[in-house]
Amino acid sequence: MTTLVLDNGAYFAKIGYSHEKVSVIPNSQFRSKTSRLKTFTANQLDEIKDPSGLFYILPFQKGYLVNWDVQRKVWDHLFGKEMFKVDFADTNIVITEPYFNFTSIQESMNEILFEEYQFQSALRINAGSLSAHRYFHEKNSELCCIVVDSGFSFTHIIPYCRGRKMKEGICRINVGGKLLTNHLKETISYRQLHVMDETHVINQVKEDVCYVSQDFYKDMEIAQFKGEDNMVMKDYVLPDFSSIKKGFCKPREEMNFTGKYKTGEQILRLTNERFAVPEMLFHPSDIGIQEMGIPEALVNSINNMPEDMQSHFYKNIVLTGGNTLFPGFRDRVYKEVRALAPVEYEVSVVLPQNPICYPWEGGKLLAENPDFEEMVVTRDDYEENGHYVCEEKFDI
Amino acid sequence: MAEKKIAVRSQDPGQRRVLDSATRQRRLTRQLEALEKDNFQDDPHASLPQLVKRLPQFDESNESSKRRKKTRGDHFKQRFRKNFQTLLEEEDLSVSEGPNYLTACAEPSKFPQRHFCAVCGFPSNYTCVSCGSRYCCVRCLGTHHETRCLKWTV
Repeated sequence: MTTLVLDNGAYFAKIGYSHEKVSVIPNSQFRSKTSRLKTFTANQLDEIKDPSGLFYILPFQKGYLVNWDVQRKVWDHLFGKEMFKVDFADTNIVITEPYFNFTSIQESMNEILFEEYQFQSALRINAGSLSAHRYFHEKNSELCCIVVDSGFSFTHIIPYCRGRKMKEGICRINVGGKLLTNHLKETISYRQLHVMDETHVINQVKEDVCYVSQDFYKDMEIAQFKGEDNMVMKDYVLPDFSSIKKGFCKPREEMNFTGKYKTGEQILRLTNERFAVPEMLFHPSDIGIQEMGIPEALVNSINNMPEDMQSHFYKNIVLTGGNTLFPGFRDRVYKEVRALAPVEYEVSVVLPQNPICYPWEGGKLLAENPDFEEMVVTRDDYEENGHYVCEEKFDI
Repeated sequence: MAEKKIAVRSQDPGQRRVLDSATRQRRLTRQLEALEKDNFQDDPHASLPQLVKRLPQFDESNESSKRRKKTRGDHFKQRFRKNFQTLLEEEDLSVSEGPNYLTACAEPSKFPQRHFCAVCGFPSNYTCVSCGSRYCCVRCLGTHHETRCLKWTV
């Protein structure tokens, strides 16, 4: 018997057998400008030589699985002979779902896992629960932790106490990586170059140049300086997908502060965009989303917990998800939570080595856990009792 | 640029069109919805046939039975073809007890709103009278009037 662990994110699927390593693969289909008749699935993205104007077909909408046709195509590809060669008769699956997943999506999930693919047993669980499991595994003396899961569609804050999810403390901020990329795209298109069709390229720009400011208004002042004094300014060379395969920042020595570049490359000049874009995670109200930012929501969520647990949450804040990779993210969260929390509480914010795959690692540990068999629903059990048994056993 | 500047400021206030708060809210909602989109434009090739396998031949009779089986599968999938909004309405969360998708949404921040220039992104002190956007200097106001104030050109 083998167990496949699949952290099924809205942008990346983190997948791998529990005895092997994890692979991070796009959970979507693509169409490219150059080969119009073909749809590319998941990691076939690498086959596209010119991904400018790349068209995305995503199975998720606002973080929830709605397009099953696309999802099944991606899964067929992942489970199939080109990738994981899953022998369904001899495989269990651990798969993640969003918090408060809708009942009908959960039922569709049961049907597809057990009836279409015929896995031997399944465990459906939230990614945060896997992260918490991973965290408690390492720090087994801790009683509570609060997970920040900031992904593509949104950001969740989920408190856990002794492995149990505290539902009443869950908080969702509707800001995720997709919104940040789209906002950057919009800003660049308005201020310098029309890039509205270049989601793929601008996402790379975001990952390469954006950072979380430690002193927002001071950085704003620096970003207004002219010429070489402007330490925030960066010039980004856009890829043309013939001689430049991947975009990059011009090294500071080569930057031309006074005039235009003589070379033919297309350049984006980024100043306040570099930190104003990730700032949406800390102040969603800056673009008119009237919600708390991550530190304020963390403190608010902890305040809703019983008082004797609060000190435990403050010293076990765990950051997961791709947005936490912005440079300065952890320090900023620490700084703001420290300022908002009562002085007598110790505050500790942990950024794992690999915040994207942290839940997957938790799933791997769970699959090796002796209690694993108690947690899953087997196919026989499902065929006997239907959705009811899944509803009873899984805490989504 | 200097001429534009005068033109913007010397406009007769009585003639100026001012958007009401409902229109402003609608604009904001539209902008936020645009940030949720997967792609800027619809798939230009959506109507083209997808060459997954070779195109079907008319005289192949033994393939038709195979295809019928497939369509049954497609029908099965049809049941799941619902968008986010329908699913949300179906859940009927407003009457259900306990924490759910709607109650989990973060509350409005207790900190004061910060303002940034709609053109250059730097901190702003002024509000456009017509549409309520923020701007930081006369230069940016000029750009704003030309591009995004009452018409939305860029």
